[in-house]
Amino acid sequence: MKRLFLALASVAALWTAACGGGGGTTVLPPPTGKFSLSSLNGTYSFVTNGEVITSTAATSFALARAGSFTANGQGGITAGVEDVNSSGVTTLAVQITGGSYTVNADGRGTLTLNLGSGGSINFGLVLTSTSGGLMIDETFNSTQASTGSGNFILQTGGPFTVASAAGPYVFDFSGLDGNQTFPCPCPDSIVGDFTANSGVVNTGVQDENDNGNIPATPTPVSFTGVLAQDALDPNGPADLSTFGRGVASLNGINYVFYIVSSNRLRFLSTSNGEMLVGDAVAQNNTIPANVAALNSGFSFIVSGMSGNGGIIRIGRFTATGATVSNVLVDTNDAGTFTSTNSGTSTSITLDPVNPGRGTVTFKDPNLSVPFTFVFYLSSATNGVIQDVTQSTTNGATDVADGAIGGQTGSPFSSSNITGTYAMNWSGLSVQSGVADEEDLVGQATVSNLAFTTGAADIYEFQSVFLHNAGAQTDNALTGSILLNGGNGTGSDGKRSTMAVTLTKNGQATTVNFVVYFVSPQLAYFANTSTSSTRIVAGVLEAQP
Amino acid sequence: MKLIIRKVTVSLMFAGALVFCLSAAAQQNASSGTQQLQSYDQTREVSLVGTVVKYDPASSVASIGAHVLIQSGSGQVDVHLGNARVLQASHLELNAGDRVRIIGENLAAGNGTIFAARVVQKGPQAIAVRSSKGFPLTPASTLSQNQKEALGGVR
Repeated sequence: MKRLFLALASVAALWTAACGGGGGTTVLPPPTGKFSLSSLNGTYSFVTNGEVITSTAATSFALARAGSFTANGQGGITAGVEDVNSSGVTTLAVQITGGSYTVNADGRGTLTLNLGSGGSINFGLVLTSTSGGLMIDETFNSTQASTGSGNFILQTGGPFTVASAAGPYVFDFSGLDGNQTFPCPCPDSIVGDFTANSGVVNTGVQDENDNGNIPATPTPVSFTGVLAQDALDPNGPADLSTFGRGVASLNGINYVFYIVSSNRLRFLSTSNGEMLVGDAVAQNNTIPANVAALNSGFSFIVSGMSGNGGIIRIGRFTATGATVSNVLVDTNDAGTFTSTNSGTSTSITLDPVNPGRGTVTFKDPNLSVPFTFVFYLSSATNGVIQDVTQSTTNGATDVADGAIGGQTGSPFSSSNITGTYAMNWSGLSVQSGVADEEDLVGQATVSNLAFTTGAADIYEFQSVFLHNAGAQTDNALTGSILLNGGNGTGSDGKRSTMAVTLTKNGQATTVNFVVYFVSPQLAYFANTSTSSTRIVAGVLEAQP
Repeated sequence: MKLIIRKVTVSLMFAGALVFCLSAAAQQNASSGTQQLQSYDQTREVSLVGTVVKYDPASSVASIGAHVLIQSGSGQVDVHLGNARVLQASHLELNAGDRVRIIGENLAAGNGTIFAARVVQKGPQAIAVRSSKGFPLTPASTLSQNQKEALGGVR
């Protein structure tokens, strides 16, 4: 799952809530499960999105990485390459010359990538399968400290060529625009689709929310582009064939891309000043031909920036043809949490010209204007979604985007929400008197809707440095899920909630969430804090 | 810093012609029980002049971020300043007793509103903390050439 915040939204151990007594040392039970070093074997493409502090700058800046590494199944990293974009300043084609990793039985582990330019970067990870997992940046050395959330996915179908990217793709790129006029760069979100054919992109359309500037009626804009081998890559064509790395220009913005497979490409912008990152996912022929074909419940989550700061909207609705019902939405707007329990004036449309593109609108009876979203489906039920809600004047209320997923496997219960789950959250929390980046990666066993055993790494900035790394890793993770009568359809007007308690050295902190299940194997969640001490969102993903 | 001051001067002059008396009721519950989904609109901006009572880079009062409590002629106003790191990067310190001018407007926040600052002026130093569209700035907006060069070393 792409990182939800960016420094966009992106914020001590404010572990203020429910702190337990001090003292003691947390000793985690030996991890159990089916994972081992051999579970990470092959070439994986990774993306993280967060913040960095350098030794020369007493502040934090947005940071995104995209890259690829090869794991040998025995704890070693043999090769790789990464690209870095820090608030529009890029460092490209950094060679990964080696490294190491660990994988515990529960799928949690560490990853160290040694760079040809010297030094290394570090990550905490949790496998969701042998094909990938979730990760957070845990780099902390004499020149930089960085954190951020992302994932890694096994690359298949190589050796790659530009033609490996073929067919229609749905994409979501978000971050900072390339406007170099103060006070920008400003928040930017682009969702859309394009078709690639041997490196030529000639049928792209996109909806962009750049700094709140959107058309009164959501209208897609056409664009063209190219995908190519990077002639400036010091490793030559090998980086394309081995790691799927190439360069692209889409609608005038330059990117590096990584081919995960013919079904997924990962992009990181390289145009001067811009910092956009996201995936393009192959669009298949199951997308609904018209609105009458819609018949599903959908969960969605968007995150980004509002005028108040970071914002998350999370919710669900049912689409039966053109009828939208059972609307639930929860909004955490810079620490102010509000719930929408029903929707009026609802509508959903599908664009007859651009397959998979649509809009959905519903109004909270207590709000003055309706929520409006643009979405692009990559399949019958999955896609990307952009918030285009606007007030009566002056454009969008926020710049936010994310994922939408058709709900399957309901009713959700203790019978099907069970087993082991990987967890990641990202956002802002107040640390040492400043709101700044926070990222968590962990794993837990769910039994009878309780997190019975689990562990997590949580990384935050403290002042202008990261916390001591040792204080961040291996928190005990416990908690519970309350389905609250929810059957996944929202027909009872109730939402599900989740509580996660992290314990380290006798200090316990509980963070409360709303949680929307897409399926028993996948859920989105956002914290419900009514104070302005934390705003995070994340994903819960079942392990096999 | 000089660059920032120059760039916000026009905005300050414009806002100066629009000085309204901002009541202490700047933060209030939305009327008629209807919440808002509201975009920042510069045509609604007002100028708030007062004395700093308290500056908090990470207030526990929503919205998340830096707040400053201002004693104005008509009462105290809690002002949301956005990202505290932007103020830090601009070397703007706010201390009790400082005389400041804030350009901003009320934004909806849940069932109430918050006074959202776009520009903060203390003495000759004026710092933008929100874009013209009202989105809190990130430290990327404050990058100096030296910092850009340093970010080129990020791995």
